[in-house]
Amino acid sequence: MSGKVDRIQDEALRGSFADAQAALKAGDYRKVVELSSAAYVELLRRKPEMLQGQQQFMNVIFFPRLGAHLVLNNDGQPEIVWDREKFSFSEAVTYFEFAVDRLIKAGL
Amino acid sequence: MKFGLFYEHQIPRPRDKEQWDPDAEHKMMKDALDQIELADQLGFDYIFEVEHHFLEEYSHSSAPEVFLAAASQRTKNIRLGHGITLMPPRYNHPARVAERIATLDLVSDGRVEFGTGESASEMEMGGFGVRREEKKQMWEEATREVIKMMTQTPYKGTEGEYFGMPSRNVVPKPLQKPHPPLWVASSRRETTMVAARLGMGSLGFAFETPDEAKERADEYFRLVREECYPIGEAINPALAAVTILSCFEDDEEAIAKGMEGAQFFAYSLAYYYNPFTGGSHKPGEKNIYKGFIEAPEDERWGPFGEAFRGFGGFGGGTAKEEPEDEVTRALWRAAQRGGCVGTPDFVKDTLRKYEDSHLDVMIFVAQCGARSHEDVMDSIYRTGTKVIPEFKERHEEHQNWRAEQLAGVDHQINSTI
Repeated sequence: MSGKVDRIQDEALRGSFADAQAALKAGDYRKVVELSSAAYVELLRRKPEMLQGQQQFMNVIFFPRLGAHLVLNNDGQPEIVWDREKFSFSEAVTYFEFAVDRLIKAGL
Repeated sequence: MKFGLFYEHQIPRPRDKEQWDPDAEHKMMKDALDQIELADQLGFDYIFEVEHHFLEEYSHSSAPEVFLAAASQRTKNIRLGHGITLMPPRYNHPARVAERIATLDLVSDGRVEFGTGESASEMEMGGFGVRREEKKQMWEEATREVIKMMTQTPYKGTEGEYFGMPSRNVVPKPLQKPHPPLWVASSRRETTMVAARLGMGSLGFAFETPDEAKERADEYFRLVREECYPIGEAINPALAAVTILSCFEDDEEAIAKGMEGAQFFAYSLAYYYNPFTGGSHKPGEKNIYKGFIEAPEDERWGPFGEAFRGFGGFGGGTAKEEPEDEVTRALWRAAQRGGCVGTPDFVKDTLRKYEDSHLDVMIFVAQCGARSHEDVMDSIYRTGTKVIPEFKERHEEHQNWRAEQLAGVDHQINSTI
């Protein structure tokens, strides 16, 4: 069932995505977006070089903007801004896939 | 592997005039119909026709259902694909989409491939009042309802987030049952995985490499097997990719006749999709082709590259470096000499790699930029006679591979691969 998620090394983050998969199956799309976004923010916190220089544009601006988006707060730390409460299936999958791919690529 | 042609209906402005010749759009449409008729006779499997609005020079294909209806009467076998229909209801009322898809399916004897998508350019979204952050949700809601309109008698109606309608019997119904094969445009990898989970074909516009195509195919079919919640009543497990085609008897001729069109395709697409240039486009005034052709050759996607430097993943490098961001990279790749710009043997070598990656459909962009109709016909003819036949002979092997991938899938399948 979990497929690509198995390639995430960090046990807690892997568990988080397993929960997101279960939420997707249960139709709780908001939870999928919450878990996926939180995992991505955690990635950026652990890899601060992803927020340096040109990488900042890549890793902040290209985060999905489908009802929740990523900003850097006054301390330069990443945080999620929620634009609405409800999400669709396809939006939830988009956040999920974006986050899983970035975590795998970062070796987490 | 199967093969298709991709039509944007590109029509660059003359570089020395403010506007096109009065007959230019008429000629372009008639030429495209001739090209599709030839492709049908040669055994091409699909055409995919875009829907874009207001993207002058880049795409004059704003009424694909009309063009595809004309093509249906000039052809016998080729599948008629929407590549794609813009689904947010502000572009097209869902009932009108269902009616048009069904009518096209009837007049074409069941040859429609129902491609769906959202749009992405500011020119289009701003013109129709579609908000970027809502367009995916609009796409999903409208697509679900259109499918119901094609299959329910009567359609039960809905009160959705972006579209509401009372119960009506939406007629006619499509010839293909329960509905034509479903596709979604996938400019990013994430959307391919959305497609898999919804049981839709993925029209990949990423100009992906064979290795990338293989990785996507493996994950896509795993998801179809294990995590698919179909959006329709039948799934269409299928992966398509797009590439630029210019096939001639020697490499120099293929490059000479093909590269300018390829570069204009990338340049003009980038122009409209770049929020800086596309967002400030002056309708009816800007001559994009002139800007393109007068730029130094190594900077022909320069304005785009410059604007995106440090934004789209260039990291301060030069336009010679492959961008990191997927969409930006796709445009960059489109402007390079791709694997289908060359001799028939060169093109076949490239396509064998995609075949090994289990790609289902390769869709060629043959009509682009200022390419002459005669050169496009020549390239289509050579591809149809010297490239495609060997792949047709091996297609049964691919179908066997697909059958293995789909073993155990208990959803109804309606796919033309």
